[in-house]
Amino acid sequence: LPAGLSQWFPALEVLDVSGTGLAEMGAELLSLPCLHTLLAKNNRLGGPGSLPKGLGQAPLARSLRVLNLSGNRFAEVPPAVLRLRGLRSLSLGGNRLHGIPPDIQELQSLEFLYLGGNFITAIPPELAKLPSLRYLVLCDNKIQSIPPQLAQLHSLRSLSLHNNLLTYLPREILNLVHLEELSLRGNPLVVRFVRDLTYNPPSLQELAGRTVKTRNVPYAPSDLPESLVRYLSLASNCPNPKCGGVYFDSCVRQIKFVDFCGKYRLPLMHYLCSPECSSPFSSASQSSTSQSESDSEDEASVAAHRMQKVLLG
Amino acid sequence: MEQPVQTETWKARSLEELVRILHQIFAEDKVSVDEVQALMESYESNPEEWLQYAKFDQYRYTRNLVDNGNGKFNLMILCWGEGHGSSIHDHTDSHCFMKILQGNLKETLFEWPEKKGNGEMTKKSERVLRENQCAYINDSIGLHRVENISHTEPAVSLHLYSPPFDTCNTFDQRTGHKHKVTMTFYSQYGERTVCVSTRRDAPH
Repeated sequence: LPAGLSQWFPALEVLDVSGTGLAEMGAELLSLPCLHTLLAKNNRLGGPGSLPKGLGQAPLARSLRVLNLSGNRFAEVPPAVLRLRGLRSLSLGGNRLHGIPPDIQELQSLEFLYLGGNFITAIPPELAKLPSLRYLVLCDNKIQSIPPQLAQLHSLRSLSLHNNLLTYLPREILNLVHLEELSLRGNPLVVRFVRDLTYNPPSLQELAGRTVKTRNVPYAPSDLPESLVRYLSLASNCPNPKCGGVYFDSCVRQIKFVDFCGKYRLPLMHYLCSPECSSPFSSASQSSTSQSESDSEDEASVAAHRMQKVLLG
Repeated sequence: MEQPVQTETWKARSLEELVRILHQIFAEDKVSVDEVQALMESYESNPEEWLQYAKFDQYRYTRNLVDNGNGKFNLMILCWGEGHGSSIHDHTDSHCFMKILQGNLKETLFEWPEKKGNGEMTKKSERVLRENQCAYINDSIGLHRVENISHTEPAVSLHLYSPPFDTCNTFDQRTGHKHKVTMTFYSQYGERTVCVSTRRDAPH
């Protein structure tokens, strides 16, 4: 960046240095108090000096709304970026990212996050702590699973997951009530019924916890050590509608096909409280289609109501 | 469309001229696919001429009507953000011309699924269309998916459909099942048109 930039253009709001071969952006950025949009795509950024030191303390940290660093050489999300607290839109598409830092949750104002075209293998659950996120692009990566916590992204309108390594989705994805666009093509989604037979039997603590919850055994914080009170608050409801049970850590993982909008069948991972809950599927090895269709009726009506559009391969 | 006796070689020097020549061509009883394709390709994209129609949406590609061809054809501009793509779709017995005005679009051709089919659809071919290239498709050629595979550049394309249509079928690549959808315009003649329905199923 040319020296004296902030002296010539102190009121600069939008700076576009895309396609200029920049390898670093220096301290000149720090004295631009009005800058809200910085476009630096298709450069040679990614090395140590890419972003100036002290970015977190500069006025820029609060004023910058849009940052586009796509088409560069970043191997990790630059920590300096995570200090841009006012950031609404971040693009790091087409870089060399292998992961997403959990500190991404620092960007509490983020609405638009584009990370397509990298080498990302996993998604940290902390990504779900972005309450304003509306548009999340993770296409063209190497992602093998989606953490169920992503269902907490209540503002999410569009989720792009195409061309990854997903075999199933967490059933919690149905909770994304505002989701209008979901792309899943180019994933090796399982097409046959799959039953995961690994099941760790519940511990005594878990069995006791389940009993307390399902029998509504009354308890007060004074009755139990704090750790157990906390443990009891973590009970998850068994999603099997015919079972009113709960589970804590021990559950059966199973893939169930759910119809979206009556036209697509998606494999969703269900966590059921016991193998008994999965008995509706036990004879499914040959007639998986009919069994899972009838069982997914109640799921389907919920899904059809909530999922307005699915863009599938 | 059939081959007329003489095929003109047109050169459209501006978008306005392109539209004018299209009206001329489509006023005839017989229209040649090759003629239209060559005409579309001859227009050298000039953003100043179409910027007013190029309205992008953050979440998905948009369809922006440019000219309604006196009912004979629809000419529209599609705007594709980074990573935006369409579903696999047919063209409701119409002719479809697609010219790239900016950026690149990947077109993947698919075979029609079997009547009883319940398996993965068959990919026929794929290609990346460059600026100013013009592709053509109709239902007898097959189905296609169009996508902007760039993570850094938006893309803009110019589409001509004859006759015009506002519904088509989208296909699930993994099963071949189809589903009828209605298409809407994001803008018409440069003005944003807001739809009442929230269903935005459309490919193009």
